[in-house]
Amino acid sequence: MQRLIVWVAVTIPTIASGSSPPYFVDIAAEAGVVAPTWCGRDDKPHILESNGTGLGLVDYDADGDLDLYLVNGWRLDGAEIAERGRDVLYRNEGQGRFLDVTEKSGLGSDAWGSGLATGDANGDGLIDLFVTNFGTDVLYLNRGDGTFEEHPDSPNLEGWSAGAVFFDSDGDGDEDLYVGGYIECTLEEVLTEKPSLVWEGLDVMLGPFGLEGLGNKYFRNEGGGRFEEATEEAGLEDVGLFYTFGILAADLDGDLDLDIYAANDSNPNYLYSNDGGVFQEVGLWSGAALDEGGAAQAGMGLAAGDVESDGLVDLLVTNFQQDMSTLYRNLGDMIFEDVTRSVQLGGPTFSMLSWGTTLSDLDQDGDLDIFVANGHIYPQADLVADKVGGGFRQANLLLVDQGGTLIDVSSDAGPGLAVKEVSHGLAVGDIDFDGDLDLAISNVDEPPTLLRNDTRQPGSYLLVDAPLALRVEAVHGDDRWIRHRVIGGSFLSVNDPRFHFGFGEKRRLESLTLIWPDGFRRRLLDVPVSHALKIER
Amino acid sequence: MNRNLKLSLVLGVVVLMAMPSVAQKTPSSMVAAYDSLATIILSVPQAEEDLVRAMLDGHYRGAKALMKQGRYDEAAAEMALFANEGDNAIAGIRKRLVEGGHHHNAAGEEQGIYEEGYVLVTREAKKEMLASSTAMRQAKDDVAREAAWKEFAAFAEETLAE
Repeated sequence: MQRLIVWVAVTIPTIASGSSPPYFVDIAAEAGVVAPTWCGRDDKPHILESNGTGLGLVDYDADGDLDLYLVNGWRLDGAEIAERGRDVLYRNEGQGRFLDVTEKSGLGSDAWGSGLATGDANGDGLIDLFVTNFGTDVLYLNRGDGTFEEHPDSPNLEGWSAGAVFFDSDGDGDEDLYVGGYIECTLEEVLTEKPSLVWEGLDVMLGPFGLEGLGNKYFRNEGGGRFEEATEEAGLEDVGLFYTFGILAADLDGDLDLDIYAANDSNPNYLYSNDGGVFQEVGLWSGAALDEGGAAQAGMGLAAGDVESDGLVDLLVTNFQQDMSTLYRNLGDMIFEDVTRSVQLGGPTFSMLSWGTTLSDLDQDGDLDIFVANGHIYPQADLVADKVGGGFRQANLLLVDQGGTLIDVSSDAGPGLAVKEVSHGLAVGDIDFDGDLDLAISNVDEPPTLLRNDTRQPGSYLLVDAPLALRVEAVHGDDRWIRHRVIGGSFLSVNDPRFHFGFGEKRRLESLTLIWPDGFRRRLLDVPVSHALKIER
Repeated sequence: MNRNLKLSLVLGVVVLMAMPSVAQKTPSSMVAAYDSLATIILSVPQAEEDLVRAMLDGHYRGAKALMKQGRYDEAAAEMALFANEGDNAIAGIRKRLVEGGHHHNAAGEEQGIYEEGYVLVTREAKKEMLASSTAMRQAKDDVAREAAWKEFAAFAEETLAE
């Protein structure tokens, strides 16, 4: 295969002398991103209505910019369906504008949507979309002309499916699919449900306890976009029928294949270790299934990243209100340690009910920061907001890493962080070609929030587009930054697939090394920063 | 049709077939059948306890062996599995049992001694053994490792002996 390195200088801004705290502005309305994403009735009597929906930043038309896909649910009125919300595709028109191209693209499903996964399902080099639904999941194949067609025999969980990831599990060059299931329920149950659980003295929705979990499934890609279910064969059984929400794939043990981590609501999380396409569930053994006290948490969203640049992927899980989000430090050999307290993540996350999240360098000072999308599941929380620490609508959270300690800078991070919604989905990517990471957030029963990163003095950066590479390592003197391929994660959402680095005041790198799953390495020397870089093997 | 329903129907048919038309003393064969069933019912909790004890014994022996090999992080993971009374597959079964109404230590759960569905490991033992597991992972030298192991082993042996 011809090895080709393409350097693409997308922007060459003035290199900052340092970095300042992140600053975000909500541009959704002015950008034309105005479609609300529905989720049931106002009073949310059924747990399905607490789910929210995912979204994705996806360059579906391969024109080099990130477009936006919104998964949509339904609006209910009593026991009636008031509106079947349609998924929406917005094309990035540049200049901060997005255009609704749903009709033109052949998309716009009116199923009750849940989440999104993207990948090349049929090996034609184009990005396909897999939408998980409450009902039948749908794989949309990209025709390459800006339009999509439904796969005639789509992989499907049938029921309330949640997170999903496309990933090459067995190294055969095609992308397999793992789909998480939440609970078993029917539309009739949703439509006729009444609040039947007492929480803080209030009648609220029931669940997930007492409801039956829907099993996760794995679909092996047999080539050409033909999928066969092979959950048991691959060792990816949902051994506890736990309530799965977020799922991510990343190389957690450094053996150059992709492992699976799944956030389970109110149950221990799963960690499936991959050994040549055969998986073993090692969640409890690894230490990444429970919190430090041995308690199962209400896992919602996930993020992964190399917090200490030690070459090991650490894991972040968001949880329920009056519980902390949890950061698991990777000790190597699939052993994890809950370091939530020592990095001071507990306090800022305790009063929020948290969903989509990311470990990204939002101020480009060289270390990974944390953004968390928040919102309650009970509208009734407004009645006891003072007591429990937050109501139905909650502000999102931004924590920056300062010398290994997380500092809450939300109140200083611009008007974008003052927005209070019931935020669930979160997708991260550079939507405006300025090299920093912007945030797209889905809100229950409201249009999304689109947070443009207007950090005044961001550090220098590098955006590396290297399809299928597993890891990228940047070196300058004694400093080392490592970014890992992380597929999926957040909450039912899809991030910009490029590797993003911040370097603070650095102007050049001594080297940049890319590593692919077969061990192939490519090393570039004396690399200028503040560029977008495309590297093809 | 679930297994319980099937069993109830079969037993019901047996009872009806054996029931004489006039009420009188219960036939001895029926008494014997019920007696056998009672033995089975009463032995189930003991069988569950034996099974969980065997599983925990496996984790204890595993942890011991890994300690001897100097694989301390993995030993700590086995210690955590002991504290959690098994892995996620076992947790899934425990969840199914609890949702089906089976609580091995119902009274102990009400008193806060056991977590839901736990058979042998008490809340206190779990907390202490998880702390030992964490201490093992964080131990910088053999002295610290030995202390963590001793603490864990005391609780583990007490749990296995009960």
